[in-house]
Amino acid sequence: MQPKRFDQARPFLTLGILIAGWLVVPVAVKSFVRASFFEFQAPLAVAASHVRDLQDYWGLRLHSNDELIQAGRDLGRLTASYEDKVQENGALQDEIGRLEGLLRLPSYADFRLEHARVVQRDFSGWWQQLVIRKGKNFGIPVGAPVIFAGGVVGRVKEVRAYTAVVELISDPSVRLAAKVEGDDHPISYQGGNNPTFGPPEGVIEFVPLNIYASSTIPKTLLTSGLGGVFPPNLVIGQITSVEPGTDGLFKTGEVRLDPRLSSLTEVTVLVPINPE
Amino acid sequence: MRRTVVIFLTLLVLTGIIAQANHYLTTRHIYLFVGGLFVTFAALRLPFGAGFGAVALGGLLLDSTLPVRFGTLTLLFVTAYTVIFNMRDRLPREETAVRVLVALISNLALFLVLSFVLVGDAPSPGSAWLRLFFDLLCSQIVIALIGPWFFALQDRALLLARTEPITLD
Repeated sequence: MQPKRFDQARPFLTLGILIAGWLVVPVAVKSFVRASFFEFQAPLAVAASHVRDLQDYWGLRLHSNDELIQAGRDLGRLTASYEDKVQENGALQDEIGRLEGLLRLPSYADFRLEHARVVQRDFSGWWQQLVIRKGKNFGIPVGAPVIFAGGVVGRVKEVRAYTAVVELISDPSVRLAAKVEGDDHPISYQGGNNPTFGPPEGVIEFVPLNIYASSTIPKTLLTSGLGGVFPPNLVIGQITSVEPGTDGLFKTGEVRLDPRLSSLTEVTVLVPINPE
Repeated sequence: MRRTVVIFLTLLVLTGIIAQANHYLTTRHIYLFVGGLFVTFAALRLPFGAGFGAVALGGLLLDSTLPVRFGTLTLLFVTAYTVIFNMRDRLPREETAVRVLVALISNLALFLVLSFVLVGDAPSPGSAWLRLFFDLLCSQIVIALIGPWFFALQDRALLLARTEPITLD
């Protein structure tokens, strides 16, 4: 009969051996296991998102014809307004092309727009991410910028067979180059703390001393287009406060992100047409 | 082997439910973490090998979807499992209240360890803790509410699969 003390220690010995074994498992094997477990449960999340879509559909079916006619009229007006903008945008694009040719400037990266439904939102105090219903099957690449009507959503972090994981700009580990609207100095943006019941937040660093903003007179923070995947001039959020940093050379500040980030149901992935 | 699979499938159900709850709670910026429920039943009810396998598979399930180093949650879960397993003979483990209490304590420990590991990324960790403590409070309430149901589900699943649980002393 084995001594009792050894019997008590045996589970811990087994645990130690398994942990040691896990540490020496090659990264390729771990990646394969991770992908397998992800794909194993992906159908659950995707099915749940389809059920939500069906609920929305039946919810909309309950609207009366009058409401639908009214919505159709509103949509018609909106479409007419967007058609004007499309024509204006075409003229501006031609102008940009002409100036690029004249000044021999490199062209901005071109993107294909891929709209995707949100399968699952996962926002904790540790991380902020969401899963979308398009992946390798639609040619979504890792690192692609993701946007919505309110501006930047984040970037694609992982791509699976028919889903992709998007890291939100409110995630504390996200950093990107930004600029204040009307100013070309690049500043650093980082996802911040996301308080309970409040809108998502971010922080900015290396803000020039001549920039002022407050919650009553906020300034818009845009992507700078420098050193990253994001094209320039996409809205990140509103700068609600800036104060001098400890070094006295720059300011630091807080950014209020779009509250709609917390309830996203559809996003657009910018897929580079000619990736370098 | 069958016990491992059955308990793993119940953990899969729990993962799906909590993921949906978290999806809807994003509008309020509340996050539920129920790691304690992943380890408690297996640690109190199953033989070491079967329970260890189920808990490890459950940990890998969560690890695969979360932005943490792959294996982090699995490591935490199997460690918590081993500690609870070692103490289980000193507990009246057939009592639902005791199981819920063990789930609450293990969830608290797992949450705090995970927070210490991950909170370093936040720009101001001090204020991040406020959010984390509120999430922890909500998670503990949810565990207290759904714990008895989930343990009953796991018990019933073992019975339905005709895998007799080990006899309690």
